[in-house]
Amino acid sequence: MLAREIWRVILLALGAAWALAMLPAVLGGTHWLAGQEVSVQSSSLVLVGTVLLVGWFVLPVLMFGADETVTPRKFATLGLDPRRLAPALAVAASMSIPALFTGFVCLATVLVWRGYGLATTAVALASALAAFATCVLAARVSTALATRLLSSRRSRELAGVAAVVAVIAVVPVLVGLGSLGLEGTLERIPGVVTVLGYTPFGAAWSAPAAAAQGVWTAAAGQLLLAWGFVGLGLLVWTWQVDRLLVDPPSTVGASRRRADAFLGAGAGPTTTFHATLAVARRCLRYWLGDPRYLSSLASTLLMPLLIALLLSVVGLEAVSGGVLLAPLVASAVGWGRHNDTAFDGTAFWMHVSAGLPGLVDRAGRVVALAAWALPLVVGLAVGGTWLAERWDLLGASLGLAFGLFGTGLGVAMVSSVLLPYPAPRAGESPFSTETGAVGASLVAQLLSTAVTGVLAAPVTVLFWLTVTRNPGLTGATVAAGVLGGGAVLVLGTVLGGRFLDARGAQLLARLH
Amino acid sequence: MALRLRGLVKRFGETLAVDSLDLDIPAGSMFGVVGPNGAGKTTTLSMATGLLAPDAGEVHVHGVDLWREPARAKPLLGVLPDGLRVFDRLTGAELISYAGLLRGMPRDVIAERRDDLLTALDLHGAERTLVADFSAGMSKKITLACALVHAPRLLVLDEPFEAVDPVSAGVIRRILAEFVEQGGTVVLSSHVMALVERMCDHVAVIGAGRVLATGSLDEVRAGAELEERFFDLLGARGPHTGLAWLRPS
Repeated sequence: MLAREIWRVILLALGAAWALAMLPAVLGGTHWLAGQEVSVQSSSLVLVGTVLLVGWFVLPVLMFGADETVTPRKFATLGLDPRRLAPALAVAASMSIPALFTGFVCLATVLVWRGYGLATTAVALASALAAFATCVLAARVSTALATRLLSSRRSRELAGVAAVVAVIAVVPVLVGLGSLGLEGTLERIPGVVTVLGYTPFGAAWSAPAAAAQGVWTAAAGQLLLAWGFVGLGLLVWTWQVDRLLVDPPSTVGASRRRADAFLGAGAGPTTTFHATLAVARRCLRYWLGDPRYLSSLASTLLMPLLIALLLSVVGLEAVSGGVLLAPLVASAVGWGRHNDTAFDGTAFWMHVSAGLPGLVDRAGRVVALAAWALPLVVGLAVGGTWLAERWDLLGASLGLAFGLFGTGLGVAMVSSVLLPYPAPRAGESPFSTETGAVGASLVAQLLSTAVTGVLAAPVTVLFWLTVTRNPGLTGATVAAGVLGGGAVLVLGTVLGGRFLDARGAQLLARLH
Repeated sequence: MALRLRGLVKRFGETLAVDSLDLDIPAGSMFGVVGPNGAGKTTTLSMATGLLAPDAGEVHVHGVDLWREPARAKPLLGVLPDGLRVFDRLTGAELISYAGLLRGMPRDVIAERRDDLLTALDLHGAERTLVADFSAGMSKKITLACALVHAPRLLVLDEPFEAVDPVSAGVIRRILAEFVEQGGTVVLSSHVMALVERMCDHVAVIGAGRVLATGSLDEVRAGAELEERFFDLLGARGPHTGLAWLRPS
């Protein structure tokens, strides 16, 4: 328990240090902005405000579970009046480092407007307070909404799917922005800013600009609008608190039915092969039906996709993002299972109790992942080289992808036995993380990354040489990838199985 | 002896959960383990079934050292743990099949026993439903089915009747009684003294990680009610709760 708290305190201290370090930058920014034209000031602040509010609306949901301290449900048994409880909870929620930092940013922007006279400064101050209140309320409203929406298991599964879809949807947006180019994007800003000025995102930030330009009717209107949004947010939040107090979200969903897909109609002895297949089938069921797997997949896929995109936009001369797409995804998917056993949770006791050989346990997991990941990687390699118009690099791309997949997964099969860290429990929000796990997860992630990196060094170097120096090394890259990755995978599976045989019960004790 | 525990020790940080515990469970007995919350029942049963590594001590299942030769001992054991999940994305039928496949049983035998178990435990309505959608009592029953599917010689059940409705509890009691009649051994833990007194022929009272009394039911209760003996052994009986203010106002 104490260790948990220590990590919490360290995180808090790091956050506070970061926020403190940012304060001079914020002040510098407002000082610079004070010297600019009104149009620049207005559009910059509206954009900053939009990002702030979007952040406050979205981040608490993604960090769902981290922010449970003042959830209204905890007050359900105390019989409090929601109209008094709701504002109190909102105030309590604003006593956090991100909230204080946001408050500082909002107030600092008043400095931008002090050159336009007392009246404008007063409008700016009233607007800044409205903007801050909007942010805090947005976080409350979105958290309560997520609590409600994610309460049944069915909807949590949908949330996992939605996360995967959202990640994939980021790609066309970025491609669109890339095709517009920096200039084209900037040209569209004024129009967007005007529209934002009449929404909760920009009203509070546009009002001072209107005042500075002497358009007092617009200033008054937008200021009223901004405080109107605050009032609306407070109303919605009070209503949500009321609902949460008297009608807590039920955790029961409709039940689902299906036939026994594990046994089939086959007769005869159950060999190691059949047992492995059973474990693989069980893992695949979780890949398809458990939101925790989907959301972890989404977060592992996000990074490689963004890197590949960035590389293709920046346009690295030797190798474009398309060629690297398959290797990046393959390494993320393989290495991504470095905490695989923890996702079983305490249900892992069934393997321990049955005395299932460790090798069968490991092999089943490898088969389940390879069954969908290998076709995906091959598809991405073909698609990526086609997009990049570098058919000559297809072999090298595939070689590196296989190498990184095998190495990452092989290392994962060992590290998920030796270095498990808490994963969200089955049926819990896929977005929740255990705060106490920060230390253990950091060690496990760093170690498994480092070992994977070292073991995959040969194929990576060969790939680089093929791309930059000598295309004749394609064959060697493919060989190093398939043979090297395969060898590490087999070795990791066998070794992980041995460790599992020796310490299955110890592992189970750490999955609680 | 079906189960022999010698000098079992388990320490969690500062707390000594099980304190060099010895216990003998004769073959063919229906053995009840009773004790207050935190006495170390679950910890002891977990170590006795290979789910928790003891800090010291030995466990013998029908003479086989569980922690030295798990591959020989585990097939003899059927386990119903308390507070551990199962793979609940599987249907009831699939979970039993999975348990059988993990133990390497012939597939036609699994299929036959799976259907028998679903019928016997009155789970036929739930065989095609995901275990995640089961009630607490149904989850207990399906986990019990998984413990039975390989026809073990020794059943170790931690709180098998918790959250189980009276009708199902009756069914489970009959199944266990038949199992013992056929020569099997059952170890079960419970908080409910009356139930242990009615079902079991042997009992052990556990407190503070030690065995306070063990033997046949009549030896342990020594002419009194089991519940009275339980309070005597724990020295925990007192007429005054200290809540003198607790009366309807």
